[in-house]
Amino acid sequence: MMAIITISRRSYSKGKEVAEKVANRLGYDCISRDVLLDASKGFNIPEVKLIRAIHDAPSILGRFQHIKQVYIAYIRSALTQRVKADNIVYHGLAGHILLKGIPHVLKTRITINLEDRIAEEIKRKPIGKNEARSLLLKDDQERRKWTKSLYGKDPWDSTLYDLVIRIHKFSVDDAVNFICQAVGLKQFKTTDVSQHKMDDLAIACQVKAALVDEFYDVAVTSEYGNVIIYTKTDERPGHKFKQKVKSIENKIEGINNLEVHKGVPYPPEAI
Amino acid sequence: MEQLTSEMILVMAMIAIAVFLFIVEWVRVDVVAILMMVTLPLLHLVTPREAFIGMSSNAVISIIAVIIIGAGLDKTGLITRFVGPIVRIAGNSQSRVIIAISLTVAGISSFMQNIGAAALFLPAIQRISKKINIPISKLLMPIGFSAILGGTITLVGSSPLILLNDLLVPFGLEPFGLFSVAPIGLALVTSGITCFIFFGRFILPRGESKIDEKSAQLAEEDTMQIMKEAYELHTPDDFTDYRDPVTVGDLRRRYLVNVAVITEVPDFKVFSPGQDTQIRSDIDIGVFGAEKDVRRMAEDEGMIFKDHLETFKEIVEDSSSGIVQAVLAPRSAYMGKTLSQVNLQERYDITPFAIYRQGETYRAEIGDMILEMGDVIILYGTWRNLMVLQKERNFLFSTPEDVELMRPEKAMVAGFWLAVALIMVMVFKLQLSVCLMTGALGMIITRVLSIDEAYQSVDWRTIFLLAGLIPLGIATEKTGTAAWIAHSLLNVIGVVKPIMLLTVIGIISTIFTLVISNVGATVLLVPLVVNMAIAAHTDPRMAALVVGLATSNSFILPTHQVNALYMGPGRYRSVDFMKAGLVISLVFIVVMVGMIHLVYGV
Repeated sequence: MMAIITISRRSYSKGKEVAEKVANRLGYDCISRDVLLDASKGFNIPEVKLIRAIHDAPSILGRFQHIKQVYIAYIRSALTQRVKADNIVYHGLAGHILLKGIPHVLKTRITINLEDRIAEEIKRKPIGKNEARSLLLKDDQERRKWTKSLYGKDPWDSTLYDLVIRIHKFSVDDAVNFICQAVGLKQFKTTDVSQHKMDDLAIACQVKAALVDEFYDVAVTSEYGNVIIYTKTDERPGHKFKQKVKSIENKIEGINNLEVHKGVPYPPEAI
Repeated sequence: MEQLTSEMILVMAMIAIAVFLFIVEWVRVDVVAILMMVTLPLLHLVTPREAFIGMSSNAVISIIAVIIIGAGLDKTGLITRFVGPIVRIAGNSQSRVIIAISLTVAGISSFMQNIGAAALFLPAIQRISKKINIPISKLLMPIGFSAILGGTITLVGSSPLILLNDLLVPFGLEPFGLFSVAPIGLALVTSGITCFIFFGRFILPRGESKIDEKSAQLAEEDTMQIMKEAYELHTPDDFTDYRDPVTVGDLRRRYLVNVAVITEVPDFKVFSPGQDTQIRSDIDIGVFGAEKDVRRMAEDEGMIFKDHLETFKEIVEDSSSGIVQAVLAPRSAYMGKTLSQVNLQERYDITPFAIYRQGETYRAEIGDMILEMGDVIILYGTWRNLMVLQKERNFLFSTPEDVELMRPEKAMVAGFWLAVALIMVMVFKLQLSVCLMTGALGMIITRVLSIDEAYQSVDWRTIFLLAGLIPLGIATEKTGTAAWIAHSLLNVIGVVKPIMLLTVIGIISTIFTLVISNVGATVLLVPLVVNMAIAAHTDPRMAALVVGLATSNSFILPTHQVNALYMGPGRYRSVDFMKAGLVISLVFIVVMVGMIHLVYGV
């Protein structure tokens, strides 16, 4: 049995507990913050900046938006590099979005009702009930805004997930059972084609991460290692860009053919 | 000096807007022209009648007639007939090839649109280059430049010269005759060709950047070669079991391998199968692609790689199908469309393999790429289908098969009407437009081409570019803006010799034509330089003539249509044009001013 499981969660939703138990039972690796550490090490960006990038909603100013895109590209690159090895439970932010289009990813969301979360918050922090409530609501809004502004998706939209489990009447162990049962279905098994898709996503993310710092307005696709970098018409690919592309071709593994297409509308699946 | 009026400021603002739009190209140049045509009367800078007077101008009608005559000559294959003999005369030496073809192309473009002449010879040049093993980059640029220079031999050779007499009318200056410019034009062509013969090795690519150019060329030859490598595979009995269906399109996207033919038992062959065709069990497939890609595909998809061609062999060897390099022709209906929109696969059963553009080869997802003039596209199909595509004339093929003569029996008739038009221009003192239209009409009546074909051949972009900019010229003159700028400029320059003034005008025109198209430059500069010349006591007709000629001095950037067409097939980069173009442009100005001095004694 091979698969990738993403668990999207709110704070104090017991999602982490579920993730760890699932990983334990299936013998999968369980990752979350590791991805940020990988990205931070790989691209020399302090972790705190990356956390801010994936947590705060992007400001209206385009410059910050751009920096955010850069960080997200780094995180995505680190994540895809990690999960392409398969048998992974990822319970970080936006896994379901960052791993879009991969057939053997089981996307789950764990929710819990607000009162239980408030109780949990009060237990950990010396604050009152009302304060805890407003803190949690604010945090929820921030995360919601973040996903909406970057990906145009509402994380509360249940159609983004294969499975949404509310921890209230169901216990954590029930949730673990459900997830383990679901991931055993044949539609979540890794096939040759789906593994190729995963590898291609990892390659495209790596290429994008290598370019995004200097040329953030590019899009990348990969199919079986045939990479296409899309650029806008008015940007003439200068010498610097060409050299960068050349170095990418040599550096990143798994590239079979690399082309730069200029002035073509970006395909929707492009990174 | 006159006072600067608000109208003048308005006109200058309009000129600035036009020039700005020409440079940034937010909209196409002809749209800029139409914008001028509409805005100027709205601002009361010209009367509504003047705004559209360009449409009925001598120049516009002449251009229409020249295009129709050119289309007629093209259709009958009259000019194609020259190709064979010229190629034979050219023989095997590089210099002779350049001289013979350049002179012919220059001669043809002296009375036809020069892009037409350049396109006609492109396939032949590609063949010669292969046959006598001279890099095509050594041949195309001299010939392309000659096509542009040839436009200066007669007054109908290029748009600026056709326009010239119309622009002289408001000043009451004597118009030029058809061959008034011939001595200058011939000298320009001769000096251009001479330059390439003697200094070709220094100014043509492959001089300093020898290794670069060579490797680029090698890389390209390699890709072409790869595209032509044929392999055969077999799918096992259980190929389709327990898996998602695999289509021809999948193989193309995943491995850059093109399926040319599918053979099914017992003896059922499909050439150029559509992208949605599924690969079934127990069949043979013949593919083109790089060996490493084909082997990767065989391994990944579980196909059996055959060491020798079996069924596919007959197909590769018998000449019923093949691969061609096709160049996107000027005014091709496919320009600006993507290959998916053109859909050669569905319409002709022809598979495009790759696109070659400005030194880069594109093999992946080429269906999305927007086609540009001069793109080289590698196509596979049966010869019969390829021939049908060729007849459509959207592509120029460099295959050995010569362009089929469409209406060869009409060739002499077409030649006759061209002669009639030219004789009328020379013998009777009639307006150019009337004489040329007679020739065009003659061709239509004698069915060299149908009236619908004539309409279709007219390039509306050229017409509106000309007609739309003419009112801008009128406004510049009428409001006194031209005179004002001319005087201001002369105040700055001071008193100069006539020959100096003409040289300066030549240089300015050259710069303008590179940036804002030859027609735009002519319309804006003629009123200006005529005023300058009058004020500086120089012959104003000569000043105008310099503009008309120097606006063909468009070699430094590949903006001229001919250069854009030859850029792809010649594997040139912009730098190559800068190097050779700079030399030719300098020679152009020196020779032009020198000849005007000699012929007209300025």
